[in-house]
Amino acid sequence: MKEKTIYEHLRDKGLSRRDFMKLCGTIAGMMGLEFSPPVKALGKLAHPTPAEVVARALTTKPKLPIIWLEFQDCAGCSEAISRSSSPSLAKLVLNDIAIEYHETLMAAGSQAEKAKEECMEKYRGKYVLVVEGSPTVADDGIYCVVAGKSNLDLLKEATAGAAAVIATGNCASFGGIPGANPNPTRACGVADLIKDKPVINIPGCPAIPEVTTGTILYFLIMGELPKTDHLLRPLTFYGHTIHDHCLRRPFYEAGKFAESFDDEGARKGYCLYKLGCKGPTTYNACAALKWEQGLSYPVQSGHPCLGCSEPHFWDGGGFYQGQSAALIPPESKTTAVAAGVGVAIGAALAGVNAAKKGRAKKALTSISAVGPGESGAKPISQSESKKEG
Amino acid sequence: MDWSEILRFSRGPLFHLSLIIFIAGMTYRLLRIVLLGWERDRTKRQGSKLWGTILNYLRGLIILPFIPWVRRTFRNNALTFIAGGFFHLSLFVVLAFGAAHILVWQSLCGISWKPLPTPIVDWLAAVGIISLLVLLINRLTHPVLKLLTKLPIWINWTVVFLPFITGYIMTHHLWFRYEVIFSLHMISVCLLLIWIPLGRISHFLFYFFSKTIHGAQAGKRAVTP
Amino acid sequence: MKTQSALNTYIKETGGWVASQLEACTRCGICADACHFYQALGNPEYAPVWKLEPLRRAYEQRFTVAGKLKLALGLEKKLTDSDLEHWSKIVYEACTVCDKCAFVCPMGIELGLLIHEVRTGLAASGVVPGDLAEATEKQKTLGSPLGVTDEMWRERIDWITDEWEEKIPVDKPGAETLVVFTSIELMKFPDNLAAIAKILNKASENWTTSSTGREVVNFGFFEADEELTKLFMYRVFKAAEDLGVKRIVISECGHAYEAFRWTAPNIMKVPKGIEIIHITELIHQLWKNGRIKIKEGAFDDGVITFHDSCKIQRLGGLIKQPREVLKVLAPKNFKEMTPNKEQAMCCGGGGGVISIKEAEANRYAVFEMKMEQMQDIKAEAVCMVCSNCRLQFVDSLAHFNSTIKVHSLAELVSKALV
Repeated sequence: MKEKTIYEHLRDKGLSRRDFMKLCGTIAGMMGLEFSPPVKALGKLAHPTPAEVVARALTTKPKLPIIWLEFQDCAGCSEAISRSSSPSLAKLVLNDIAIEYHETLMAAGSQAEKAKEECMEKYRGKYVLVVEGSPTVADDGIYCVVAGKSNLDLLKEATAGAAAVIATGNCASFGGIPGANPNPTRACGVADLIKDKPVINIPGCPAIPEVTTGTILYFLIMGELPKTDHLLRPLTFYGHTIHDHCLRRPFYEAGKFAESFDDEGARKGYCLYKLGCKGPTTYNACAALKWEQGLSYPVQSGHPCLGCSEPHFWDGGGFYQGQSAALIPPESKTTAVAAGVGVAIGAALAGVNAAKKGRAKKALTSISAVGPGESGAKPISQSESKKEG
Repeated sequence: MDWSEILRFSRGPLFHLSLIIFIAGMTYRLLRIVLLGWERDRTKRQGSKLWGTILNYLRGLIILPFIPWVRRTFRNNALTFIAGGFFHLSLFVVLAFGAAHILVWQSLCGISWKPLPTPIVDWLAAVGIISLLVLLINRLTHPVLKLLTKLPIWINWTVVFLPFITGYIMTHHLWFRYEVIFSLHMISVCLLLIWIPLGRISHFLFYFFSKTIHGAQAGKRAVTP
Repeated sequence: MKTQSALNTYIKETGGWVASQLEACTRCGICADACHFYQALGNPEYAPVWKLEPLRRAYEQRFTVAGKLKLALGLEKKLTDSDLEHWSKIVYEACTVCDKCAFVCPMGIELGLLIHEVRTGLAASGVVPGDLAEATEKQKTLGSPLGVTDEMWRERIDWITDEWEEKIPVDKPGAETLVVFTSIELMKFPDNLAAIAKILNKASENWTTSSTGREVVNFGFFEADEELTKLFMYRVFKAAEDLGVKRIVISECGHAYEAFRWTAPNIMKVPKGIEIIHITELIHQLWKNGRIKIKEGAFDDGVITFHDSCKIQRLGGLIKQPREVLKVLAPKNFKEMTPNKEQAMCCGGGGGVISIKEAEANRYAVFEMKMEQMQDIKAEAVCMVCSNCRLQFVDSLAHFNSTIKVHSLAELVSKALV
């Protein structure tokens, strides 16, 4: 039997054609299709509006199977998605547009394991693998084991049949907090391990739910992963820094900074750079999408950006330390040792130089002793000719 | 290698190492010179050495940098003097009163102070860059400077110019991704720090020697330095 | 071999004082603007900092890592004999060691005094311009760079005594003040010698000259040969000690004043309790104490200006004394040249330059600038307190057919005595 398309599924649930088209418009907007180049990539279609592109895909394609694995993580990214207040797009995507296997949400157990294996078998080559949490490499992956299988085996197994892999959250993308110094489990990004499948990173702590779902939708609609930057992050969402779109930017330009969290500057909404904001080097869509259905995001609510969508954000100095500060300021002991080395070499050379000067003096006096003798009064060379320089 | 990694490296270990090299190098250089021996001045003084020295610093810091015509000497080389003065002013203000640099000082020595408004610092940085270019052109064309300028002097100019220009590009978010230009800025600063003990940029330290010597000389002879 | 002596001298001379200043140089080239030789002739090699090159190279190559690196990389060469000869021409013939550069250097490097060190090395290796070496040799053997022997000296003194009818005591026992003249005054400006005698006699100063310490000019100091500098000063100090005087008056010679006043205590044993004083200071003192009286406005006919000698004003600090006297002599018509005082431009004849024939063109070129300065204020006469400067002024003004009259301060004062 032919699988139901998404549109059919939604119509069965009672969605009108009008509402469906509205939904398509919303999805297109969220994916950033208005301005994103992939529309042009569909060259042949003369002038499809983004909503039409979405509608076409949703009316022709069946639900997208998703397998959601968790490794070393806090489940925060899943939380972020499932806690989005309803009726949200995220929920809609996960319930009605995709079918999924999610370990945590499915109350793990042998039945869940079985369900997953069936799912993987059934949709081999078609499903999207979403990874949350960092894989761990140390000691053959012994530090993260699910149902007796190491995370490395699980990942390998799940990747084999996947059409694409989406690493959501900083942990899955770059190792995140498990990968922070000294990284005892040798946590790493999924892309570090998987080379034979297309991988995309949705870093963030947590990843912005709309970005994760948006990327899933993109894959569903366009049949491929969106364009990424050098860190494999979708450019649509990671093309600009927090600083670029910051609503406190004018204060930065004017040099007005909050010096503490409760000073006059903080109350007036001044720039948080001196309080440790990592905005200038952090690429993410917070400022555009915001959190809690567009309510706010950290910088807006008065907290400096932590840089959670960047590799090693946990090791980039203190969260409240300005970005220009030295990461490893030399301790006074180190400084003293350095100065001591300088003093030692300097003093040693002083000895050598004094000897040099002594030799020069000797050579000069021996020449003048042999040289033309003085006539007339005798020069008082026995005088204290202490002149050194 | 990813640029954010390079940034972490240059802000962290590289900067750390450069500072250590800088400190060790400068201590060595200072000590070597101090230990070369100093002659005691036995001449009978006509005026106060101390007053001469104070006067010399005051004149050097307050009057001289901006009015070269005070001494009616600078017929051909006023440019070096004016551009040099503006460059040093710019360097001082940007380093001491740029918000980002104050954070560096804070992380290094734990004290912090109020920055100047960014537009002022920004304009002065531009003045510094222009002064450096003027000085470069002057160096390329002035006959005496052509004679005096050897490879190390070109290196001096380059390692001073690079932090200035990368810093300027960085604060204005031009052309480069922020972490890229930030890394380049840090790397150029590290280059500068490592080069200082080797080249003539160390004059910021020996300035106090020569200025004091001349002040004392003028003071003991009772003339205005 | 020559180079070796120069190098050894530089190494010996390089203490913290020299090294720290060499390190402080930023190679900005501003000193070139202070140098009258560079300004007049435009040769970049006359820039004061370039004159330090032998000293700098010796220092860097022997003492510093950077210098050794440069040597290893072939960026710089070792000093050679021909280098020394090259710099000998620059340092002796295009530099009067006037130290104006030090007053312009933004780092305050004492360029003049360092150039003196450069000369020391060159003198040690014997690379000194022939004329200068010859004069020095004359001073060493005959006692005067102009070749004045003891006999000639006595004759000349007698002649001056007769001609100007002014008593000039020689080797007077019990004298308090020993006045040491220059051969230039003796041979070329005897009027000046007589004028000084007149002033001192008028003030009933208990003074004398010495037949052994009779030459104040120090060609060893021009050459910067330390041993000879000491020898020539020793002759004067010895005479002063033998006579038991209380003070030595240096007559109108800048370099001699620099040598006796500021250098001697640092390089040799100086007899204790003997004050060293310049004639300008003495005249000023006598006038201030009322021992001599000067007719006010005695020379107030045309614009008269004062030439600051580098070693007496800029480096000697005797800036206000001659001016106070001149303002009495010419209250209305005394005018300053620009630049003046510490910043004044050197006449171009000091530092031994005037004794070197090859440097004549340099000397005249520089003097042209000085003449412009005098013409700017329409000076009709110029007064100075250094006979070396005076020689340069007289010679060069004649060369340029100028009508500006040259006076020494002592001469003016002696004529205005009441």
